[in-house]
Amino acid sequence: MPLLGDLLARLGSLASMPAVVGVFVTAGLLVVSQDWRLNLIALAAQYLFVALLMTQVVRLELAAVKALIGWLICLVFYLTEQQAQSLTRASGEPSDLALQDWFAGRLAGWRRQGISPRAAFGLMAAMLVAVTVYAAASIVPLPQMAEEFILACYLLAGLGILLLGLSEDPLRVGIGMFMVLSGFDLLYVSLEPSLAVTGLFGSISFVIALGMAYLKTLEATTGEEDA
Amino acid sequence: MIAGLLLFLVLPLAMAGGVYALRRWATLSALLSVGAALILGILIVVLPLGRTVELWGRQIVMGGRVSLLGRELVLEETDRIAIAFLYLTAAGVFALAWRVSPGTMLFPVGMGLLSLFSGSLLIRPLIYAVLLVEVAVALSIFALQPEDRGPTRGGLQYLSFSLLALPGLLAIHWLMGRYALTPDDRTLLDASAVLLALSFALLLGSVPFHPWVASVAGDAEPLASAFVLTVNNGAVWFLLLSFLETYPDLSAYPGFATFVSGAGLATVVLGGLLAASQRRLGRLVGYGALVDTGVALVALGRASQEGLALALLVLFVRPFGVVLMAAGLKGLQSWGLREDRPESLRGLANDVPLATMAFLVGGISTAGLPISAGFAARWSLYRALAPSNLLTTLFTLLASAAVMVGVWRALSLLVASPASSDEGVGGREPRGARDWLTAGLMVLAVAASVAVGLFPQFLTSTAVRLAGLHTFIVR
Repeated sequence: MPLLGDLLARLGSLASMPAVVGVFVTAGLLVVSQDWRLNLIALAAQYLFVALLMTQVVRLELAAVKALIGWLICLVFYLTEQQAQSLTRASGEPSDLALQDWFAGRLAGWRRQGISPRAAFGLMAAMLVAVTVYAAASIVPLPQMAEEFILACYLLAGLGILLLGLSEDPLRVGIGMFMVLSGFDLLYVSLEPSLAVTGLFGSISFVIALGMAYLKTLEATTGEEDA
Repeated sequence: MIAGLLLFLVLPLAMAGGVYALRRWATLSALLSVGAALILGILIVVLPLGRTVELWGRQIVMGGRVSLLGRELVLEETDRIAIAFLYLTAAGVFALAWRVSPGTMLFPVGMGLLSLFSGSLLIRPLIYAVLLVEVAVALSIFALQPEDRGPTRGGLQYLSFSLLALPGLLAIHWLMGRYALTPDDRTLLDASAVLLALSFALLLGSVPFHPWVASVAGDAEPLASAFVLTVNNGAVWFLLLSFLETYPDLSAYPGFATFVSGAGLATVVLGGLLAASQRRLGRLVGYGALVDTGVALVALGRASQEGLALALLVLFVRPFGVVLMAAGLKGLQSWGLREDRPESLRGLANDVPLATMAFLVGGISTAGLPISAGFAARWSLYRALAPSNLLTTLFTLLASAAVMVGVWRALSLLVASPASSDEGVGGREPRGARDWLTAGLMVLAVAASVAVGLFPQFLTSTAVRLAGLHTFIVR
């Protein structure tokens, strides 16, 4: 995997506090945003930042494999959302939306309506969790780990659990689960960097991704928005 | 020569694929699942450990150590009993699902789960067992989700709670490894004990992590939820015992017994209260199972061979209650109980007496009333507990009565006259509710539950034998 390895090696300078900030921003975005496109971009970026952090403790190739697994999950979610959209799409709506049109639409929506109550609540809850995590990271340090690592682990786990608690949409619940898994993986990969564990971790992620995709497709097929 | 233990990993997995491909032929796929689970469940008990036998022209050796993809697989006597329990329970669930829930995803997914759980019991070290159990939990979601409805909360909650248990269980392995090197560092042991308690409370659905149990039983496919509450739950219990066996310092941890008893008692009390006030049949099954889990924890908290045997006996007899209740519920749903609401229950007993009977007998067993499968374990526990802990005995008894109150309330609605002609039967065409095969299977399941209640000696002796094989009990 030379290309991916090269990419991660070049981004190596970010593999410290900038990556932690990236993890925080993407995790916060995932909690606050209800837009699936934005969420998938944030999730993909989060996997990159997590892989960058991992390069500090494990071989580059192993971190690249982890990133690749994460991006494949993003791809599964993307295809699922596309499928769900095509199943539930209103007849007048255009079938494909160009990226710039979508972005312009989002901007116009934000300008017109501001932040929704749901997003405001999510933002407030995410800030509260982040403050708690920041305090916890200094009070409960994890063994053999740098401070920024601990912060990233706790942020991912805390905001992942928050997302699990706030969401009913299968894909958002799935994203919450992946955040919790990423947070723990960040800690565990330095303790147990074996390929078998990485493989089984990947299997868990894939089965969860397929399960969530199955539920999402059923939701679209049966026309039920809420569980 | 074939390493016998590989059969229990490869065959169910191959069957899962085959059964999925044959899903269109519901009877064939169901019978294949029943047959495979039954044969493998019997084989693991019948084939002698450590000796070579010839089966279908091939030499098979059971037991010993096998290396698979660099990991070690070990089959011991404890694993044989555990695997036999999982396969035979699954065979029972599949058999009932064949008639009351044909064409369900439970058959292929269930076979896949059996392979993963067998792997989790056989593989060393324990971190791989934990990861395999988590894969199995994630896979369960496909069976739990009814195919004619949108996503239900049960499966998502089950997966979420179970996933939160994963970090703790993996961390224990590392922490105990460090503790073995630096035994003076008690913080490692303290952290491991806390993580063990939290993780298994999440996985078993003990209070305060119980919401998923009622959700799974309430809105998932009834027999798939019964599979989760018996087979999946059984695999988690065996994983807990493996942890305690592998790390005796954790079972000898000061306050371990008190904590387990306390968690069990809280689960029993809350489960009983919720069961008595519950009017939805699905959630009642869940609360019944919750009380059962609490009782098993109370038994384990006795920290003795007798307590462990009682906990295992509770686990062994659980299918005779929970699976029967779920089969009865599915039978009622097939007839016309479209929504699990009390008003829909009125008068259904007249239309589907066998499903009602299955639900009632299963409920009696889950409550642990006399002449039911659940009674043997409960009665033995009351007798063991009463001299030393009268209050716990009283609460456990009251919780059993509370489950029965819930069942009784459901029954009173089922036998009541429908308030109007459009209530009760929902106008749906009955599906296999009155054919002789379904009736025969229901009667057979009810008879098996009563028979185990009258003659529990086989299960009791198996539980005692299995408890005797565990050495972590300190007093």
